[in-house]
Amino acid sequence: MKRNLKTAIIISAILVIAGAAAGYYFYNLKPKDLGKIKPDFYVTSAELQRSFEEDEEAAISRYVDKIIEVSGVVSDINPGENSTMNISLKTDNNFSSVICTLTSEVLPEEIRVGSRISIRGVCSGYLMDVLLNNCVISGGSL
Amino acid sequence: MKRLIGLSLLTMLTFSVSAQRYMTKNGFISFFSHTPMEDIKAENNQVAGVIDTSNGEMVFQVLIKSFHFERALMEEHFNENYMESDKYPKAIFKGKITDLKSVDFEKNAEYEVVVEGDISIHDVTKKIAVKGTIEVVTGGLKANTKFIIAPEDFNIKIPAVVRENIAKTVEVTVVMKFDPV
Repeated sequence: MKRNLKTAIIISAILVIAGAAAGYYFYNLKPKDLGKIKPDFYVTSAELQRSFEEDEEAAISRYVDKIIEVSGVVSDINPGENSTMNISLKTDNNFSSVICTLTSEVLPEEIRVGSRISIRGVCSGYLMDVLLNNCVISGGSL
Repeated sequence: MKRLIGLSLLTMLTFSVSAQRYMTKNGFISFFSHTPMEDIKAENNQVAGVIDTSNGEMVFQVLIKSFHFERALMEEHFNENYMESDKYPKAIFKGKITDLKSVDFEKNAEYEVVVEGDISIHDVTKKIAVKGTIEVVTGGLKANTKFIIAPEDFNIKIPAVVRENIAKTVEVTVVMKFDPV
């Protein structure tokens, strides 16, 4: 009986420690590094923007919160606040692009307006443009 | 409704006259919550904004899901539990510079302004007046402000278990660089 009690105490102590460790681990979890995760979708910037323009509700349920690898031609590069960089990709609509916020302010030198590139990011939705966040350049300039 | 707002912003742009309108889609808004327990910060680099210098009107909008946190779990809770961003995906501010005459858009300088308007977050709209600066620079405009809002005012419910970790009021910082349309 005594031994059982001792075992029970040890097991509960282990559980408590494991629980605290797991809690601490999840609490400190950083946003995912998308460079290491397979995208849910591969699309062109024109295709992605068209989906949102034509049927926003359908595009939201298909793409939002998903990892998307989008390819297109760079139309604009804007350094952001706090070490970020926004890259816009051209679409068929002159007033609407795909805006990708990179987690790094360092761009490979060969990427400039007019470059054809692929970017991986998480889709946040549609404002006037399709917005991707937590982005990384995948494969660089093609 | 969402589409209407997007459309109205676009209409404002499309039918703009000369360089009286300035816009950006790369603006920055962050918020900061401080408690003795912890500091929480989130940043959004995808703010769309338009200023009409002829009447001082401005419109800003953001997607809630474009706010980013240092910790993945905070971002998840922010979206799912507090902001309900699937239901209320956008936050919008529509307002006006109260004393437009104090700004000379022809002269490069920094001007102090007060902007009054309606801010809509989490499907709640409140009147707000904030102090900020408009800086006229060659080929553009910069706008900066800091103000305080209370999540409670926007019907954002913070569960008791984390109430000690999230401040009653958060400081919002806005940094915008506009280009002529």
